[in-house]
Amino acid sequence: MSIPGLGQIVAQPTASTTRTIHLRPFWEWRFSVPRSAASAVSVRLVSGTAERDGTELALNHTYTFARTKSKLVTYTGCAVEVSGECDDLVREYARPEDSPALVFLNLHFALQGQRAAAAAAAGKGGAGRGPRVMVCGEGPCGKTTLARTLTALATRAGGQPLVASVDPREGLLALPGTVSAAVFGGIMDVEEPMGGFGVSSTPSSGPSLVPVKLPMVYYFGRERVEEDVPLWKDLTGKLGSSVRAKFEADEAARAAGLVLDTPAVAPGEGGMKILTHVLREFAVNIVVVLGSAGLHSELQRRLATEKTAHGEAITIILLDKSDGVADRDKDFLKFIREAAIKEYFFGDSKRTLSPFTQSVSFDDVAIFKAPDETDFYDNQQALEPAEISAEMSHWTLAVMNASVNDPPETIRQAPVMGFVAIADVDEERRRLKVLSPVSGRLGNRPMVWARWPEPYINLLG
Amino acid sequence: MADSAADVADDYRQALEDLTMNSRIEIATLTNIARENANHGLAITEVLHNHIKKVPPSRTLPALYVLDSIVKNVPTPYALYFGPKLYSLFMGAYTKVDNATRRKMDEMLKTWKEPVPGSISTKPVFPLEQVRPIENALMAARNAAFAAHQTSYQGQQQLLRGRAAVPSRDTPTPPTARPYQPPPQGQPPYLGPNGQQHPGAVLAQQPYPMHPGNGSSGIPHRATPQPAPSVKPYPPYQQPAGREVYGAPQPGISIDKLKDDIQHLIVAEKAEFAQDPLDTSKQTRLKALLDLQTIIQSRDMPQDQLMIIRNRVAELAVNMRPQPQLPPAATAAHVAAVAAPNTIHGAIPYTTYTPTPPVVVQQPNPIPPAAAAAIAAALGRPPSAPSAPTATPAPAASGGSLSIDSLFGQGALAALLAGGARKSVTPRQTHTPQPPPAVPPPAASITALRSPPPQRPAEPSRPAAAPASNPAALLALLRQSGLLGSGASPTPPPATTPTSALAGLGGLRALGGVPVGGDENLQPAALKIFRPHLISQLYEGLGPPCTQCGRRFKTDEDGRRKKTAHMDWHFRVHQRIAEAEKRGQHRSWYVDELDWIRSRETIDIDLPSESLAGASSHDFGDHADHARRDPNNGGTTNPRNQPPASAAAPYLPVPEDSARLNNTCPICQERFEMKWLDEAQEWVWTDALRVGGGRVYHASCHREAAMPMAVAMPVLGGKKRKAEDEGVGAGGGLRGRVKVEGW
Repeated sequence: MSIPGLGQIVAQPTASTTRTIHLRPFWEWRFSVPRSAASAVSVRLVSGTAERDGTELALNHTYTFARTKSKLVTYTGCAVEVSGECDDLVREYARPEDSPALVFLNLHFALQGQRAAAAAAAGKGGAGRGPRVMVCGEGPCGKTTLARTLTALATRAGGQPLVASVDPREGLLALPGTVSAAVFGGIMDVEEPMGGFGVSSTPSSGPSLVPVKLPMVYYFGRERVEEDVPLWKDLTGKLGSSVRAKFEADEAARAAGLVLDTPAVAPGEGGMKILTHVLREFAVNIVVVLGSAGLHSELQRRLATEKTAHGEAITIILLDKSDGVADRDKDFLKFIREAAIKEYFFGDSKRTLSPFTQSVSFDDVAIFKAPDETDFYDNQQALEPAEISAEMSHWTLAVMNASVNDPPETIRQAPVMGFVAIADVDEERRRLKVLSPVSGRLGNRPMVWARWPEPYINLLG
Repeated sequence: MADSAADVADDYRQALEDLTMNSRIEIATLTNIARENANHGLAITEVLHNHIKKVPPSRTLPALYVLDSIVKNVPTPYALYFGPKLYSLFMGAYTKVDNATRRKMDEMLKTWKEPVPGSISTKPVFPLEQVRPIENALMAARNAAFAAHQTSYQGQQQLLRGRAAVPSRDTPTPPTARPYQPPPQGQPPYLGPNGQQHPGAVLAQQPYPMHPGNGSSGIPHRATPQPAPSVKPYPPYQQPAGREVYGAPQPGISIDKLKDDIQHLIVAEKAEFAQDPLDTSKQTRLKALLDLQTIIQSRDMPQDQLMIIRNRVAELAVNMRPQPQLPPAATAAHVAAVAAPNTIHGAIPYTTYTPTPPVVVQQPNPIPPAAAAAIAAALGRPPSAPSAPTATPAPAASGGSLSIDSLFGQGALAALLAGGARKSVTPRQTHTPQPPPAVPPPAASITALRSPPPQRPAEPSRPAAAPASNPAALLALLRQSGLLGSGASPTPPPATTPTSALAGLGGLRALGGVPVGGDENLQPAALKIFRPHLISQLYEGLGPPCTQCGRRFKTDEDGRRKKTAHMDWHFRVHQRIAEAEKRGQHRSWYVDELDWIRSRETIDIDLPSESLAGASSHDFGDHADHARRDPNNGGTTNPRNQPPASAAAPYLPVPEDSARLNNTCPICQERFEMKWLDEAQEWVWTDALRVGGGRVYHASCHREAAMPMAVAMPVLGGKKRKAEDEGVGAGGGLRGRVKVEGW
């Protein structure tokens, strides 16, 4: 007799899929899960303590990592049981002092000191401003990882730091191509590829196993800041003022301060302008430079006499970058971008979402197109009504929190309400098939069609 | 007692739908309901049968455990009712679940051929002629699969066996993989020892001592799948746990392995010693280890002592690095405390193996916090008591001499040499819940422990002053282990001493010597200094972790409250996920600036997804509402989806045929205002009312028009409506978020 399913006892390819890894204090277990959709590695902390980017793993809880290049660090020693295939490596350090994790940890403790002082000052009628930390560096050097680690450690100690990302390459709680900010109070998602910064940690209509975070999002729509610096400055300015207003209103966030993730910049005029712009917008008082002596010295020169808006001195720290910074090639980045888009609409393994597909007439939607690079000389022309064509298929559009009758500049700089994906364009019948996270009509919100991230080919296929 | 079979069946069906994981309590409740309604047994049988057939695979196993529990505890009439359906039921479930669940089902099937353990009846649970066809079918299928996958399958078996037999190095943990289950026709392996060791119903509580690591909450971090505890506490498929808990002579402990571990430790210790030859503590510890090695190699040890040694050796292996600068006293106490059952690393043999199917691992714990608290209260003290004797040598050893005694607790050496003469010292809390009579009472040891801290208050808070925080770490450990209570406990915690380093224990200010607010801490040189004493602030200083997500909560009053809220939150989320699965969910829109600025992180109090994105905002504020835990309460969710009749202005979901309908009110001729109403998760026409399935009116207009005296006054009506809308908008505030769509 045959029972369906019984014959499928899959042959486990190798005998070595489950193994136990022992780490001594400050050692790291670095792993990289192949990005094919099926492969995942499960990790269970058997003893001791371990954490991913500052968020502690629960003992004996099985965590599953997919399409992730990350690491587990232990400060006290641990044993983890790993099953599944991945490229991994145990990075051993002869002394704790050799580990970059120690520096991050000490940085956190120093920041905690400032936060405690801020909380105490707030009790005595002071402003109670916690540290505003900006993380910057050249190229891939672990900026986001450090930002995430500092955030998670602060959250763990009971703080509610505000986190902002002005790097459009990777969205914080939003799709790539955005700049955004959010308060982090609850525990962060360890399993998620972006460790709690990914889009799957944003609110949905139902419950979530990991506390969700509510972001404030602006849509840049390009990959690199340099492609449209004026717009980026406008948007980060808006984000900065939202963050300031948030700090005014939220005492807990004010005391915990800000962690700011920045785009990779090279030393030089352009990069400095980018950094000093956000530095001022967010009233940053601590700048962490990862692994770039050039940036460090240049920033020191420029900021030697500068004070923050609140009159504090600006501290600039140069830290070594970890030798474990993962190389994420173009394909990998594209892959995680597409995964983020998919997760935005359909959820992840822990939370399945059901987006809505609707068919609308060309005339019932208001789609604006960001001008191409060639048009950038015309600064006034922020947006133009888009001609809907088959070219638009599979693009992800931002739905703006504005009215269709607002002037183009207002629409362009409005907060993002969400994203829709154009599943299909029927030019003959003049109808669009649109995938949207929330049901309902789309006609009364302007949608912006920008140049990045690129279309996702098979979102509905 | 319900009235009719239909009612009972309906209630039972709803209760079953709420069962999403292996919760012993829920299963017991369901069993009791079945028992009480045995006169409607046929209806319940039918319901359960249908439920098992249609639930998703992830929830099949709990349902089967309900079946198992019912037939074992209420064999009459349920075994009779289920018998004829058994084959189709079992095979149907077997085909849809994954392999891990199948193994559980195999175990369950095995128990059905046996009499219920502890029962006076010698009849098997189900007659053999009903079980055997299932077995035969499974064997046939398995043989087919085996033939097809012979090589790989063998590989797997070997892998599993290999893992079971060779414990991994350096871990305090026995192998975590299940030992390979013999095929079902084999002899059920665990009955014998268990029957002897479990004298009665009291042992229904025994799984809890397995999980003492939960500290103050006491919530077992895995629900155990056994049925109705009060009657037959240990169905055989639970036995693997029983074996590991009670079977002190663990088959996995090999003396060679232990020697190996010690050797390993010695090598590591030597390396450390070589780095810092002046450190006397390392020297003495190394000496102690070497002594231990000699003892082990020269004598035969009873297994249970070997286990203790092994655990502590393993703990040492894990803990050696982080605490190298602890004074010997602290080290000893640390080891002792770590070995005590209530610490995070502690009692590993008791916690690593839980017979829960993998599906539960990802799920929040369904045990209501109230019950958990009761359990904690019941179990809080006894498990911690054995750590008292081992902690006593701490003050004595602080003089600097470190020996095996201080490494492994006072009397350990003597006990080793006496070869089991003093068994009472061994902290096998499951066998000896009371402190052994020969040792000083815990209070004495606490007093003793309290003496060192006052000697240290003058320590300058410099990074070099590592020992200053060691009392703190030690106290945190002790507190965590339950030895020192929190503020509520009769023993005043030493944290009340005026020493600032102690007073701020775990607090933000107690940065363990980091001067607050000083920029000098941000100097590159300062950032590279290793301050081992700070690390405990991330762990012990924050209290024991939540077993589900690892977030830590202190054990003081405030921390306990937060932890309760947190566990409630896990529980609610878990409940609601089951609901959401049925309803479907979707990503919410992001908010605009104003809403974002006004929003607050609400940790473990409200679900931010609701308060901010407003999925079902009716849930707020009633998180203390325990009624929802009643499994029969499933029906109360329905009103949520209905428009609030009286609370706010009436609205109408935008009709699907809206294109053909009037979109202006026939009375006032104004257009209906369309909004996205988060509460309803729909686009609605506010203040709209559809009359008789035909035309749509403004509700306020219609009301006025319907009033006998009212002359239709469209302008007035319109104004009134607008005023109402504004009222709703302002009053809705954070809760009832209504996003007005601009028209």
